[in-house]
Formats: sequence, C-alpha cells, structure tokens
Amino acid sequence: MQLLFINGSPRGKKSNTGRLMEHFIRGFTETSGSTCEVEYLVKYKNNLKALMEKFSASDNVIIGFPLYIDAMPGSVKAFLEALAPLEGRADLPALGFMIQCGFPETAHIRFTARYCEKFSHRIGCRFLGCILKGGCEGLDVQPTFLTEKYFNLFCMLGADFGKTGKLDEDILIKLARPEHLSAQNMAMVIPFINQALWDAQMEKNGVLDLSFDRPLMP
Amino acid sequence: MKFLILNGNPLGGNGNIDPYIDHLVEEMKSAGHDVMAIALRDLKISPCIGCFQCWVKTPGLCSINDDARDITRQFIASEHVILASPLTMGFPSYLLKNAMDRNICIVHPHLEEVDGEVHHKKRYDRYPVISYLLEKEASTDEEDIAILKDIFRRQAINMWSSVGFIHFTQSPVEEIIHAITVH
Repeated sequence: MQLLFINGSPRGKKSNTGRLMEHFIRGFTETSGSTCEVEYLVKYKNNLKALMEKFSASDNVIIGFPLYIDAMPGSVKAFLEALAPLEGRADLPALGFMIQCGFPETAHIRFTARYCEKFSHRIGCRFLGCILKGGCEGLDVQPTFLTEKYFNLFCMLGADFGKTGKLDEDILIKLARPEHLSAQNMAMVIPFINQALWDAQMEKNGVLDLSFDRPLMP
Repeated sequence: MKFLILNGNPLGGNGNIDPYIDHLVEEMKSAGHDVMAIALRDLKISPCIGCFQCWVKTPGLCSINDDARDITRQFIASEHVILASPLTMGFPSYLLKNAMDRNICIVHPHLEEVDGEVHHKKRYDRYPVISYLLEKEASTDEEDIAILKDIFRRQAINMWSSVGFIHFTQSPVEEIIHAITVH
C-alpha cells in the first residue's frame, strides 16, 4: 500500500504534527509492502502545482496540520485551493487528515474536521477520516508518561491502516480523548499549562513582567 | 462607528466582490460611517510560522515585520471588521486566512475557562465585532454555509469577538447598511 503524507505544519520538520506523523508512519510501514513518502508543505510554498501533481499520482494521502485560529493554517488553505483543478477527476487518491491543536480538548477541532470531510466529497476523493488530537503544544516538553500512551495509539492506528486501508474508529475515538475537560480536570490543567509552558518561556526570555503588553493599542 | 473591511479577493480573482465592496464603502460613507477598505493582495503578508514569539518573546508583537502588523493594528482599533472574500473550495481565501492567522498576538497565551471550555485570555480590553461578506462559488450549498457558520462562531469565541452578520454578494448592499444600522 502506498501513502503520501503531506505535513502542512508551517514549522516544517520541527513540528508537533511531525511528531505524531512519525509514530503513525512507524506503525504503517510495519506491514511489508507499505511505503510512505513524506512531503513538507513549506518546501512547496512557491510551487504548489508540483505538490498537487504528487497528490494526484498517489493512492492514499493524509494531510496533517495544526489548528490555527480554529481552522487550517492559511498555507494549508492555499494548497487546498491549488487542488481545485483536480475536482471531479477519476482516480483521485483516498484522502484523510491529521489535525492537532494546542488546546487540551479535541472538541476545538471538530468544526474544521467537518470542513475537511466536505472538502474530500467536493473534490471527489474517497474520505478516509480525520485523526484528531488535542493537547499537542510543546510535545517535546511534555512528560513521557503522557506522550507515550498516545504515541503508541498513533503507531497502532498506522499499523492497522497499513493492513486494512482504513482508519480504525475505536482508535480514533481513544485518540480524541478528552473531547471536553471536566471542571476538576480544567482546574488542574489550566494553571499547569500557563506556568510550565508559557510563563517558563517568558521568564527565560526575561519578559514575564511584559506578558500582558498591548503594543498595538490604538 | 469605526469599520474596517479586509478584502481577501486574491490577485486575478474573478467575480464581483471588488465592485461590490466599492459600492458598499460608498453607501457606508454616505450613511455616516467611518470605513476603511484594504485589499490584502496589495500587501506583504507572510504566513504565520507558529514561532509564538508574539507570546513569549515580544508579547503582543509578531516577529515578522511586514504589512500584517499594520493590519493587526487596524483590526484592534476598529469596532467592526468585515472580512470579505470569495469562497474557494468551500472556505474564504488563503489570503484572508493568512492575515487572520497573524492576529494571534491580540490574545494572551494563558488559558482560562470560558463556558466549560479552555480558551485564551484577553490581551486588549475590547475586540471588534467580526462580520463576513462572501461570494458563493457555483457549488456552495447549505452544508457549506452551516460548516462556515460554526467555524466563524468558534473563531469569534477565541478572539473575544462575536459574529455580526454573514452576507453574500448576491444580496443588495442595502441589506448590509440596514444590518449595521440596527446592530
């Protein structure tokens, strides 16, 4: 089975999307005969047509991206627009999406996932599904006990996809947890993220006291 | 009331959204509104690179010094922003999305609970109402519009804003004038 994974993260190789993608591909390539090619959208920003051609020559494509202001990043939208000439053509690849966000709840991504599904129908690709995962900002600084569990799930999802050509619904549901946070969970998670992720970086840069600056105030 | 119209019609875009905006600006001015329309295609707006320097290094200011900085300044100075774009593949243009992505510096990295969900804290005291002027594509259907309405509503929540009107270029300009007059 052949797969083209398009990493649409504006951060390119050093992206949280890429971390999740690696684990998915690790599982996918376990099946003998499965081949996966990875392309980084940032490399094609001035030549989207070349990536569109790779897209149309593939059997299966997954487009991965981070949620930017509740939707796809502008650069991913530019690529989706570049796919317009393929609309309605025969032999288009099966298409799936991998969308992650920094917010701890996956609920934030559901709306854009619905757009992605409609996009697949509009262009005429068989829809594989959307792999959704919240809580993905700063994967490099998240403790291993947190990341290990879902990295394994990404690997299992990839392995199963390599065998069946389908994204397993049960694993997708597990990955999407938590869909919402309980009040108790929220009270714990919010101060942790604010301090460990954001204040720590501001402190390192010596700007913690400028945190709430309003440089564009009219 | 201070209005800003961001025209996301890309270079070489067909359709009638440009003359529609010209007409709208005229009508708004004669109704006494303070309105500025900016064609994004004439500006240099690089995509957001997700570096978060606008949160952790130069709080409130994007690390990329191009025209998007002025767009953000105009955005936050307005009371009502109208985002205008043709729909392409069921969504406003990449040009408009790139400009909106660069606005992430108007909120704060810290999270807080808003109606049972996690959202970012405010950086500024007030944020503009966001409305939409869209040009349908031949294939636009009710499902597309429902999907967009949801995403626009979600975007407004995260930018401490609210959705004003969602209007399509097939309806007369006077409907917008009416909507903003009663708003």
